[in-house]
Amino acid sequence: MTTEIHKSAAPDHDDLAPSSSPARASHAAALRAGAVQSLGIAGFLLVLVLVFSASTPRFLTGDNLAGILASVAFIGVVALGQTVVIVGGGFDLSVAGVAPLSAVVFAQQVNDGRAVVVALLLALVAGAIVGTVNGLIVTKGGINPLITTLGMLSVSGGVAFTLVDGQSVPIENFSAGFMAETDLLWVPNQVWLFALAALALAFVLRFTVYGRSLYALGGNKEAARLAGMRTDALAISTYVASGTFAALGGVILASQLLAGDGNLGKDAALLSVAAVVLGGGSLLGGAGGALGTAAGVLVLGTLANGLTLMHVSTFYQQIATGVVLLVAVGFSQLRGAVSGGVR
Amino acid sequence: MNDQAGGPVPLLVAEGITKSYGANVALAPTDFSVGPGEAVAVLGENGAGKSTLAKILTGATRPDCGTVSVAGREIAPGSPRDSLLRGIALIPQELAYVPQLTVAENVMLNRLPGRHGLTSRRAVVAAAAALMERLGLWVDPSTPMARLGVSDQQIVEIVKALGRESRLLILDEPTAALTEDEAAQLYRLLGEQRAQGIGIVVVSHHLDQVRRFVDRIDVFRDGARVFSGPPSAAGPAELIAHMLGPGVEDAGPARRTGSPGPSILDVTGWSTPGRSGLRDVSINVRQGEVVGVYGLRGSGVVALAEGLGGRRRDVHGTVTISGRSRPAMASPRAAIRAGISYVPADRKRDGLVLSQPIRTAAAMLVLGRISRWGLLSASAERAVAGASAGRFRLRHSSLDQPVGQLSGGNQQKVLLTSRLATDPRVLVAHEPTRGVDVGARREIHDALRALSDAGTAVLVVTSDVEEVVDVSDRVLVIRDGRIVGELIGEHITQDNAVRHAAA
Repeated sequence: MTTEIHKSAAPDHDDLAPSSSPARASHAAALRAGAVQSLGIAGFLLVLVLVFSASTPRFLTGDNLAGILASVAFIGVVALGQTVVIVGGGFDLSVAGVAPLSAVVFAQQVNDGRAVVVALLLALVAGAIVGTVNGLIVTKGGINPLITTLGMLSVSGGVAFTLVDGQSVPIENFSAGFMAETDLLWVPNQVWLFALAALALAFVLRFTVYGRSLYALGGNKEAARLAGMRTDALAISTYVASGTFAALGGVILASQLLAGDGNLGKDAALLSVAAVVLGGGSLLGGAGGALGTAAGVLVLGTLANGLTLMHVSTFYQQIATGVVLLVAVGFSQLRGAVSGGVR
Repeated sequence: MNDQAGGPVPLLVAEGITKSYGANVALAPTDFSVGPGEAVAVLGENGAGKSTLAKILTGATRPDCGTVSVAGREIAPGSPRDSLLRGIALIPQELAYVPQLTVAENVMLNRLPGRHGLTSRRAVVAAAAALMERLGLWVDPSTPMARLGVSDQQIVEIVKALGRESRLLILDEPTAALTEDEAAQLYRLLGEQRAQGIGIVVVSHHLDQVRRFVDRIDVFRDGARVFSGPPSAAGPAELIAHMLGPGVEDAGPARRTGSPGPSILDVTGWSTPGRSGLRDVSINVRQGEVVGVYGLRGSGVVALAEGLGGRRRDVHGTVTISGRSRPAMASPRAAIRAGISYVPADRKRDGLVLSQPIRTAAAMLVLGRISRWGLLSASAERAVAGASAGRFRLRHSSLDQPVGQLSGGNQQKVLLTSRLATDPRVLVAHEPTRGVDVGARREIHDALRALSDAGTAVLVVTSDVEEVVDVSDRVLVIRDGRIVGELIGEHITQDNAVRHAAA
């Protein structure tokens, strides 16, 4: 008699926890919402293109489209780095300090007579250093990523100003302007760079052990650690990647403008996060992707361009951008919640 | 005692409630009622419909058809707030409270006493104390919630519900985290409330405790009620048969058939600091043997399991695996490399990435093996997942299904699968069937046995006395950080294990 009872005493965790499990269930929903969203965001982009094409004849021209692409390359590259951090469960505001820092370093090094390639590499190293510091503080110091990178945003931005005494530094060597040149088709080099970086990152995130590990880290850090992953090293690597991408963004800006300036790329922090989230990223970590982010960036760029062509003031553009972000994310969460609520 | 459903004036009546998700019928048309002072147990495996029933009763889910009325008045379907206002309180398994606040503040949270938006600590404590005294339930009101044990937290939750003038308490697995003594105490307190006319619904798997307490047992299976009657009408074996359905036999514990081989795992002289640490513990597991380590909360079993998993850096002592000695592992990575696979007790918190598809979760520990030059091979991944999914009867629609969509038992199978993918020499399973239904529990125990027969050293660390008796060839009992008893053969009984653990 008693042995039969033994088998039955298993408590039943999941059966009945409607009031306590939504946070956990939302995790599963987040990934599916992410998948839905990265498809959805492409559709949304298409709708935007159609609407603007119908509204103004100046929108759907080769020059204008190339212009959109050229204008989003900077924020696109930064957002790719942001994708890596967010997938890994972190957050990086310091990109908006790294970008001007790298632009200034690039400008100064070129002016000091170094080869453009060398100046580019030094700028990237500067970004990687900031990223390393971010990663060490977050992992070893256990400080919240938001606070850490907010602090480093201020520090790196401040260093950028200090290096140039608050001045704008014109670049004298015109070959440093290579990013804005159009060597292939009618599209400037910085756009090719962005496209290449997006494809490469998409490949890494989807098909490599490293990418797989990042999703595990962002999805459940302790589970990743118990699965034998080096979670601290992985987390640090995401900040290094983000810092490096942001620095590449800074070089794009400096090359485009042929100048280094501490005021460049101020809006990169929030715009890059917005692009990642539009593209299916989750601030809880473990979701998002490079192609989704690229689409998110294009949505933001197309919206700004189209509204400008329609003579909408920049103030209204800001409002429109914010509304689009909220609607797109809210809509996908709603779909995720609806489909995720059923087991 | 009310043998029939409801007394003269039922407290709660649900009529013809039904719920489907797509083609999947979660709850076939069901009538359900509870009278004042009546206690009803709702039993069933995962997916049997009992959770859907409870969710409809508490307004968390809107039924497709049917009505729920309290004291003769229909409640708004799908409105948890309306249910609450009408006196139905759900006490979930995972309690929701503010850990930083005191007991009194938690109890009085939604109606802090005071004037003009000001409240005083003293008034809150006094109000909570008065309430608890009136109810005959007592927990020191000025203690911070975080410092209470689970059983006291549960009592606070009940006080909170009754303080809102709830007339019906629905408790989900109220004793899952409690010791036998604490559970008995909880049922005694619930009994007192019941004597004052409060209706009680208990959703549970603990047949023994529940049978002693309730007036009526309802068993659900596949969305339909398959049994309803007083406890005297069906014995435990009969109830289990109802829960599992036809064709599932209840086998007794399966012990080792052959004699054990050479020693594979030797834990020597382990000590860890702290009140619930280990004191010079040595354990040995031989090939082909399942060793169960049993201990109550705070006995040190957690430190043992976590130490073997490499989760603790404060372990003094050595580990010998297949003749090779080393200090205790300093990281989970080191443990895996040493040949130990550790299954954490809390699968959702520590084990799984719920958003991952099954195939990804199953291969999480062997990314190196399913890749080349850092590039993953999708076919190798599917092979790993498919092979190990076959080991357990995993119920899933496809290997691409996110783990979070699976039931608790199937999630646990995925977790075990991921741990076995490394072909470990030692498997340390901590609470391997916590929160798992009866059928899955048996399948997991069978799999552990099969693994042991195949030559892996299996160590089951558990606070579930029934589990340790069911699954082990040898039982070690830990109390106050020391091994206080070893049971073999016919001496492996619940009584013996509990006697050693609690002495």
